Amino acid sequence: MKGYHDIVGDGGSGILEQVAEQRARITDGLAGVRHLVAVGSGKGGVGKSTLTLHLAGALRARGLRIAILDADFNGPSQARMAGVQGALFVPGSHKVSLPRTGNGIAVFSMGSVIPESEALDFESAAQGESHTWRATREFALLGEILASFEWGALDLLMFDLPPGAERTVQYADFLGPRTSFLLVTIPSEVARGVVARSVAALSKGPNRLLGYVENMSGYYCRDCNAIKPLFESPEIPRLGIPCLGTVPFDPELARHCDGGIPFTELGETPVGRALAHVAQQLLDTLESEPSR
Amino acid sequence: MKFLCVPCDAPMKLQSVGPPERGSLSIVYSCPECGYEMAMLTNAYETQAVQSLGVRIGPETAGGAPSTASTDAAGGKCPFSAMIPTLEGAQPAQTSEPAPVRWTAAAEARLANIPAFVRPMARTGIERFARERGLLEVDEKILEAAREFFGM
Repeated sequence: MKGYHDIVGDGGSGILEQVAEQRARITDGLAGVRHLVAVGSGKGGVGKSTLTLHLAGALRARGLRIAILDADFNGPSQARMAGVQGALFVPGSHKVSLPRTGNGIAVFSMGSVIPESEALDFESAAQGESHTWRATREFALLGEILASFEWGALDLLMFDLPPGAERTVQYADFLGPRTSFLLVTIPSEVARGVVARSVAALSKGPNRLLGYVENMSGYYCRDCNAIKPLFESPEIPRLGIPCLGTVPFDPELARHCDGGIPFTELGETPVGRALAHVAQQLLDTLESEPSR
Repeated sequence: MKFLCVPCDAPMKLQSVGPPERGSLSIVYSCPECGYEMAMLTNAYETQAVQSLGVRIGPETAGGAPSTASTDAAGGKCPFSAMIPTLEGAQPAQTSEPAPVRWTAAAEARLANIPAFVRPMARTGIERFARERGLLEVDEKILEAAREFFGM
């Protein structure tokens, strides 16, 4: 009697072929992108989205072609921070053009599609059982976004990932070995511990770990024009990957994010300089040969 | 998943997909050798597992593509249809009805190329863009003008 592998095709639907075709469309759509960089952490609330947007701004200020894909479908923040809420989606000859910020960063965020008063929801044949299918559906949506929008010729496509160490690894699996990871932490033992789990999990796969950024590394007091400590954490565990820089907390940065004000308006502040430094480190690392 | 007719040792071919009923699909296979037919009846979990992959279930058409879309058949339409009031088929909450805007076939074809979940927003936005310019027809020129206007 024939076995599964003796039979070509599945007799009609060609499910595996359809999945392969989806993957081919994604690969084709990203063919013009030089670097794919996922900004993750594992820990929530450490400033992944803020850093993603402002690093993109710093890189854009150097003339690079940058796009951001806000992969946090359930808590999208890039639309508001980048000022593309309610942006117009214009169909091109085959794909959809991406909304752009005033300084020319292409941004896709679910926040441009779904109002903040609503949650992402999917119609389902198995309502009430979303734990059995939801992650699969979200990755299918990510694939559709990658395949359907005009990413074009880019120097960097940055993915703003949702929290969760296991989610970080799922994105690595889905996005494939071309995607490098930049992790974000804050100077607290709890945050470092969670990020260390992400490092451990990602280290098992083929994706390159570019390093980490320590966000909220002190706060910038504008009155004193000085960086002061924000966390007291003398013995913070090491992450075992390069530190690409530290960025202090600055209430002005939060105001920029809420108001969709671009990076360039940060000017010559300590935060602006720190972000510019991290951006340069990121570029240098991307252009260097992987160490493993 | 594949089905084998044991007496004939021949792979069975998908014949048809029945309309969904309470989350279940009826998928009929037949043996090309003896003509024996059988139906696979999915439960809601199985239906949803396939729907979540974003693939379609159905017999191949002449072009090789499945003719039945399980995601559509399973009520998939658009993943956000339950929550976005301006989706196709939903009634927009407007107090005064603006003049209707026609779409040329070529412009409509472009719209059809884009994912279902952004299509209603794209349609509404482009029609507004056209109206603001005193136009009541969307053609490819208007689409290009919109791309240029928004720096895309």
